[in-house]
Amino acid sequence: MIYVENVTKEFKKTVKNPGLAGSVKSLFHREYETVKAVDDISFEVPKGEILGFIGANGAGKSTTIKMLTGILTPTEGKVEINGQIPFKNRKKYVKEIGVVFGQRTQLWWDLPLLETFSVLKQIYQVDEEQFKTRMAFLNEVLELDDFIKSPVRTLSLGQRMRADLAASLIHNPKVLFLDEPTIGLDVAVKNNIRKAITQINEQEKTTIILTTHDLNDIETLCKRIVMIDKGKIMYDGALSEMKQQYGKYREVNMSLFQNEDYEQLHFEEDLKLGGDDLKVVRNKEKITVTFHSDKISVSDLLSYILNKTQVKDISVNDVNIEEIVCRMYGNGVSAS
Amino acid sequence: MRFLRLYGTFIALHLKKLMEYRIDFLTGAVSFLINQITNIVFIGIIFSQIPDLDGYLFYEIIFIYGFSLVPKGIDHLLTDNLWKVAWFIVRKGDFDKYLTRPISPLAHVIMEFVQFDALGELLTGIVLVVVASVKLSISYTAGKIVLMIIAMLFGTLIFTSIKIACSAIAFKIKQSGSILQIFYMTSDFARYPVTIYNEIVKNIITYIIPFAFTAYYPASYILRGNDPVFCIGGTVVLSLILFGFSLIVWQKGISAYESAGS
Repeated sequence: MIYVENVTKEFKKTVKNPGLAGSVKSLFHREYETVKAVDDISFEVPKGEILGFIGANGAGKSTTIKMLTGILTPTEGKVEINGQIPFKNRKKYVKEIGVVFGQRTQLWWDLPLLETFSVLKQIYQVDEEQFKTRMAFLNEVLELDDFIKSPVRTLSLGQRMRADLAASLIHNPKVLFLDEPTIGLDVAVKNNIRKAITQINEQEKTTIILTTHDLNDIETLCKRIVMIDKGKIMYDGALSEMKQQYGKYREVNMSLFQNEDYEQLHFEEDLKLGGDDLKVVRNKEKITVTFHSDKISVSDLLSYILNKTQVKDISVNDVNIEEIVCRMYGNGVSAS
Repeated sequence: MRFLRLYGTFIALHLKKLMEYRIDFLTGAVSFLINQITNIVFIGIIFSQIPDLDGYLFYEIIFIYGFSLVPKGIDHLLTDNLWKVAWFIVRKGDFDKYLTRPISPLAHVIMEFVQFDALGELLTGIVLVVVASVKLSISYTAGKIVLMIIAMLFGTLIFTSIKIACSAIAFKIKQSGSILQIFYMTSDFARYPVTIYNEIVKNIITYIIPFAFTAYYPASYILRGNDPVFCIGGTVVLSLILFGFSLIVWQKGISAYESAGS
């Protein structure tokens, strides 16, 4: 379905010296440096799969998505999707894909949402019959009815994102690219969006590539992930495997009734844990203990803490994706 | 055909939007009208000091001026979004959207916005041409009118082509609004007979940035019966060459497009 082979994307950047003098100088004499935003990546996605594409900000996720959607031309390498090369047969190719960039909208700002859909219907040449069934389906999945007659500029972010997702699906695409589709949304809307994505994937066997910073997105939606850093693929494989290797870290967040109680806790001496296996960060009243759940069980750690101190508030969380990503770099994982 | 229907849809939507932002529209249209009136007053002041301009009478100048407003106004009405491409659509990465749609990005970006403010310009132009024609008692034939309309349409294409080419430079250098501004402003030279300019300016606005063909040359055919092959044919040929050129620049531009970080 999707083949990406040794793809590289380079950008030319002007090097500017700081200050006004530097700016004036660069007006006459420019120095360029080449930045590799994406560096020799390869992967495949079979039909019907939801692939999670993760990495820190600036890792090259969006650049990759933009190459796959035909917006950018790769400097080197080969991209083939649905048997087509995105930037070559662009007009034909984009009929079969849907794209959502969470950071910007593709809806018409001043128009009622319904009008946006009818313009898109014309652009994608969807016939009336299909359009009606499609709208009914999208309405049901994304609950657009409440605001379909409102101008886009009056929509809340959550409504807008649902509308954007609907807009990307109006022509029944075979492949869907979602670049941070849950960014800035509250939990309820996130759930709603995830449910919709799952439903669309199951009912229509849509292949989906998704980038996100939210581990919950990945967890509910993807079986497989590709992780990218500094333009290179760091990990490509099952999510469960990655979690086994790196996701066994948990966080205990707590605050104490008496701050001096903290002195009672000697994790290193009492539990014989330290280094990567257990880390403590103190930020005023808030104490965060990050630990490897194979090295010490949650209950052991909690009972140790509770025995030693008077806890005002305590919670146990999964570490977020950034944390896992950071750890993976720390461990020097090479491309698999 | 499909494009026309889509364009129709967009125009209808814009009319709806117009109703929503009435005050803005009225302000825009009135400001264009005031702008035009000051320009005419300015020409009036010039002529209160001199009897004729290089052999051209006041109403002949008014005719040329009015003529120049028609292609400029049509272009302004239909392709105003290109200014946004030059100033910020490319720089901010908002061009992504057009590249993910199954129609020509150029057609899409142009159709998406209709600048109704330009109606003030267009209307002034038509009124001035009519008034000047009456005052000069120009005798029109059907053929003359057809040629005049042809010249106005292809004159529009000259404006549009220059806007396409200049805004496409933004793909390479991120922002080309000022470049577009400079080229667009040279169209002001077309308001007067090219014979009043020196050879360099004359050749530039005739052959390089051929704004003289958007007004003076076709008008001189109507006013003075100058060679229609050059005056009207020139407009058609040069506009087509320029249009072809601008499409190549645009296409090259798109492949250099770098989007923006998100």
